[in-house]
Order: sequence, then C-alpha cells, then structure tokens
Amino acid sequence: MTWLFIIGVFAVAGAFYLYGRRKHRRESGLTNFQRHIDALSPERRRESFDRVRSQNRDDDQWGRR
Amino acid sequence: MARDLAIDLGTANTLVYMKGKGIVLNEPSVIALNRQTGEVLATGREAWQMIGRTPGYIVAVRPLRGGAITDFEITERMIRLLLQRVGVSRFTRPKVVICVPSAITEVERRAVTDAARRAGAQDAQLIEQPMAAAIGADLPIDEPVGNMVIDIGGGTSESAVISLGGIVALEAVRVGSFDIDAAIQSYVRREHGIAIGERTAEEVKLAIGSASPTEDESQAEVRGRDLMTGLPRTVVLTPEEVRFAIDDVVTSITSSVVRCLAKAPPELAQDFLVRGMYLVGGGGMLRGLAQRIEKETNTPVRMSNMPLEAVVMGAGHCIEHYDALKGMFMGARR
Ligand SMILES: Nc1ncnc2c1ncn2[C@@H]1O[C@H](COP(=O)(O)OP(=O)(O)OP(=O)(O)O)[C@@H](O)[C@H]1O
Ligand SMILES: [Mg+2]
Repeated sequence: MTWLFIIGVFAVAGAFYLYGRRKHRRESGLTNFQRHIDALSPERRRESFDRVRSQNRDDDQWGRR
Repeated sequence: MARDLAIDLGTANTLVYMKGKGIVLNEPSVIALNRQTGEVLATGREAWQMIGRTPGYIVAVRPLRGGAITDFEITERMIRLLLQRVGVSRFTRPKVVICVPSAITEVERRAVTDAARRAGAQDAQLIEQPMAAAIGADLPIDEPVGNMVIDIGGGTSESAVISLGGIVALEAVRVGSFDIDAAIQSYVRREHGIAIGERTAEEVKLAIGSASPTEDESQAEVRGRDLMTGLPRTVVLTPEEVRFAIDDVVTSITSSVVRCLAKAPPELAQDFLVRGMYLVGGGGMLRGLAQRIEKETNTPVRMSNMPLEAVVMGAGHCIEHYDALKGMFMGARR
C-alpha cells in the first residue's frame, strides 16, 4: 500500500517535470525565433552595413574588379 | 583578443569581414605555386597577375573554379594563408562563418570547415551564399513576404526565395561569369583563328559583353596569337558577335532563374511582381542581363547596391549576431 503511494507520487512528480520541460522548450523556441527575426531587422542590419559603407567612402584601398 | 571573421570564399574573389571592423580583405581567389616543390609563391592579386604569364615551373590556379573544390589540399592552404593574413594564429582562435555555394557536397563542406579549424578557427560554420546575399542586399527577409535573390558569381549562379529568415526555394547551377569568358575564348578561336588568354577574354566581356542589346555599344580590339602563323594578331569584335558567343551561357543562367521561380509557392510568387527580384554578384553586372531576365520572367529585376560585397556583408552580419542567427548556418536547420 505504502509502495503504491510512493510510486504514485513519483509518477505525478515526473509528469509535472516533463510537462514543465516541454513548456520551457516551447517558450525558448519562441524566444529564439523572435531573437532570430529581430537580428535580421533593418535596424540591426544597418549597424553592420554602415560600418562597411563608411569604410568604402574612406578608402578604396582594395580596388574592385 | 580574437576577432571573429566572415569569409566569402568565392570562385573569383575572396572577401573577409572582421567583427566590429568591416571588410578587411578583398582580392582574387588565386594561388600561385611552384610546380616542383609545391611551395606557395603568391596569393590574391599578385597571383592573379600571373595567370597565363608564368614560366613552366609556376602554376597560378583558382582552386574553387566551377563552384566546387577541385583540389582539397590547395584549398586548405589558401584558407590557412588567408586566416594568417588577417591575423589568426593558434593563440587567437576566432569564430569563423564561411559562405559556400549551396550546391557543394557534404565532403566539400567538411573539407572547408576542417581547413578553417586546422588553420586556427575555434569554430567554423557555413552559410549558403544566396542566404548571405539576401541579408547583405538588405532584403526584408525578416518579414513573411517573398524575397528573391539571384547571385551570379564567377563559377556559380544561385537563385533563392527567402521568407521569414529561411530558404523556401533554391536553384543552383555551376555556371557563372567564368563560363562567359570561356565562351568568348572559344568563339574567337573558332571564328577568328586566334588564341586569347582567359584574362583577355574577361576584359572583352567587361568592355563590350552584353546579354541583350543596349544603348551606346562599341567594338573592341582583341590581341592574341594567330593559330596558323603563331604570330601576334589583332582582331575587332562587335557587341553582336560577343552576344552570340555567350548566348548559351546566358540562357542556362536565365533558365535556372525560371526554374527557381517555378518552385516558389504561389503566395510568395505574387510578391515578386511587386517587389522585384534582386541581382547580386559580379556576373549580375553584365550589361543587359537584368533586362534579359526581366523579359524572360515577366518580373522586374533590380540591381543590389553593392553586388560584389553583398555576400560577405550578409555573412558579416551573421558574425555580429552569432548567437541569434545560429539557425541560419548549414546543418543547423531544424
Ligand atoms: N561589370 C561586370 N560585367 C560583367 N561581369 C563582371 C563585371 N564585374 C565583374 N564581373 C565578373 O564577375 C565575376 C566575379 O563575381 P563575384 O566576385 O561575385 O564572384 P564570386 O563570388 O567569387 O564567385 P561565386 O559566387 O561563383 O563563388 C568575374 O567573373 C568577373 O569577370
Ligand atoms: Mg559569390
């Protein structure tokens, strides 16, 4: 009887744990996707590109072909 | 401190972007070797000057010709030298993102990443050229709309439809601007009986080559070696002749664009009609090519702002936001 009770408690705890992990994974999938899309936004990209554009204006050291 | 790097390892030109700095290297993908000892004699622009002008014991080669890695050992040495030149050593160990043609094989992929790791990179990731090109050409790929990018390089032509940060359709052929040079070379040989080098053929292409008739066309004088007499001779080429000579190559490029369009889901396809398709890569700068693609697809074509740098700028952006953009690397797709 006691054994059955202990097993029951473990099973419920295990189920909660697994559920929580899945939820966490789903949420982190969401934040990762948002982070990914945000990193591709025009504002983020402008920061990288301005670096190259200003460099291009300053010097044309590597003549283009 | 190691500065992370993005490399566009093109068949014609190699560019390197350093995190926080911008483009630090831009030169032809050529290496000159001593045929007997295998020693590297020159790389980049210096080696490019030697193409077709070397004595027997020196070879100047483009190891990535055809968009494939034709010689693993030479490619590895080129990557190693490249990283050395921008300051990578066993002690700095930067992260490296390398753009490769999307059509390369698993074996070639492994060869590139291994070479970068052996040359001192802490981590080497690959990104498909058209994806990097779309980021670098500033297309709104973060939105759920169809973005089409056409990258025509020296050895490859790749078209891709991108939406919401991922590739939806892709079409790549191992045909590019070098094949246009080769077509000019063989035409001049066949029709005029003179042999010209690949660099001369490229000059002809840049001077008068076109994919469809344009305004202000002119002729070009070409100097080569007469096949009969062996003496130097000059011939005059007309733009029509050159257009005829390169037509097969241009057609295979435009057909690959058409095939890519056909693969796109209809919802995205209608976006191209409004937004147009974007051309990047040196080969895309061929006169009249945008118009030719436009005519054959009934879809507007626009030239990107910095066609030669777009790919490395896109990869550079990925190195600036390495963690957030990890999902864009090859092999990381879920
Ligand atoms: N104005 C131009 N008109 C026609 N062709 C051009 C022009 N400028 C450059 N090219 C050609 O573009 C090619 C180089 O383009 P690019 O640097 O994009 O190639 P790559 O990125 O090294 O090659 P790939 O992407 O195939 O690996 C060369 O063959 C060059 O002759
Ligand atoms: Mg390229």
